[in-house]
Amino acid sequence: MRCTICKKPAVIKLRHANLKLCPEHLVARVEKVVAETIKKFRMFTPEERVLVAVSGGKDSLALWEILTKLGYRADGVYLDLGIAGYSERSREFSEAFAAARGLALRVVRVEGELGAGIDGLLRFARGKPCSLCGTVKRYLLNRVAYEGGYHVLATGHNLDDEAATLLGNVLRWEEGYLARQYPVLPGEGKLVRRVKPLLFLSEREVAAYCIISGIEYIYEECPHAVGARSIALKHVLNELEDRYPGTKLGFIRGFLKVRGRFEPPEPVELRDCPVCGMPTAAEGPCRFCRLKERVSHGAPA
Amino acid sequence: MATLKHRDKTYTVKPGATLERALRELGIIPETVLPVKEGKILPPDHRLEEDEEVELVDVISGG
Repeated sequence: MRCTICKKPAVIKLRHANLKLCPEHLVARVEKVVAETIKKFRMFTPEERVLVAVSGGKDSLALWEILTKLGYRADGVYLDLGIAGYSERSREFSEAFAAARGLALRVVRVEGELGAGIDGLLRFARGKPCSLCGTVKRYLLNRVAYEGGYHVLATGHNLDDEAATLLGNVLRWEEGYLARQYPVLPGEGKLVRRVKPLLFLSEREVAAYCIISGIEYIYEECPHAVGARSIALKHVLNELEDRYPGTKLGFIRGFLKVRGRFEPPEPVELRDCPVCGMPTAAEGPCRFCRLKERVSHGAPA
Repeated sequence: MATLKHRDKTYTVKPGATLERALRELGIIPETVLPVKEGKILPPDHRLEEDEEVELVDVISGG
């Protein structure tokens, strides 16, 4: 198998792009796709300060590497979620990555902010682990980005993540979520702009990028994500992709064209949380502060 | 025999088969893994050799 571009031995076949690539050209393609995505959606400019949400997994570390190589001013933030074993190991990968490249990584312990890590929270909180964790992550990542004076928060969501989210939303006809699903969520006031520069890259391309670039990342899955619906949706999409290459990319590209047809939900007036001062749609304290209050009393959330 | 390691499973495969064919016969969708040996990705047309060990790195993550 030869590289479509240089005819040297290829290591990967990308059927959806009709390409066979050598290591060098796989790396070049991944970086080019990210650079084009950032420009196409006007995610941020070279002058703006970017904060990358780093988990120790392949996507976020690849994103940080790519943004740095493209010349963007990108720091990282790692949230120590307090998931026994998993959090320690993923933190080690994140810190080793940053240290080897001389990059600035902020580490924030959820337990220090909330009074309990995710494991502790799940002992008495109702709700699905990924949903609770999502609430905590969204709040803390935004707060760290806002307080740190960053213009934009970048996450490592890739094509498979976005296609699975889209499929999940379509299956339940979640019109509000469909109207909001977009690679750029604009910032406003204390809400920092959020972007997904890996949107058009498959998980396989990102994993290949890490292996070729020598980026060491955590392979293991979060123990609370085992059996998660998002993983089942990804498997379904990969079976379709195998039979009909380009399914995932076509799904996302097609959606971006018709997305405007979905009615956005009524705009919600945001007010400052009386406890922490961060924006919330709730009357009274925000969801994070309510969780924190319940943790402090040991009451069910 | 050649060995393919995928998560906590180990498969033995007859040497001579290409990786793509071996994956198909094991029911693994090639899109979901990257075959890696000594830190390098192996192409789908790589022919497995006697006693060769290949790790199948899962590319799906979620939650």
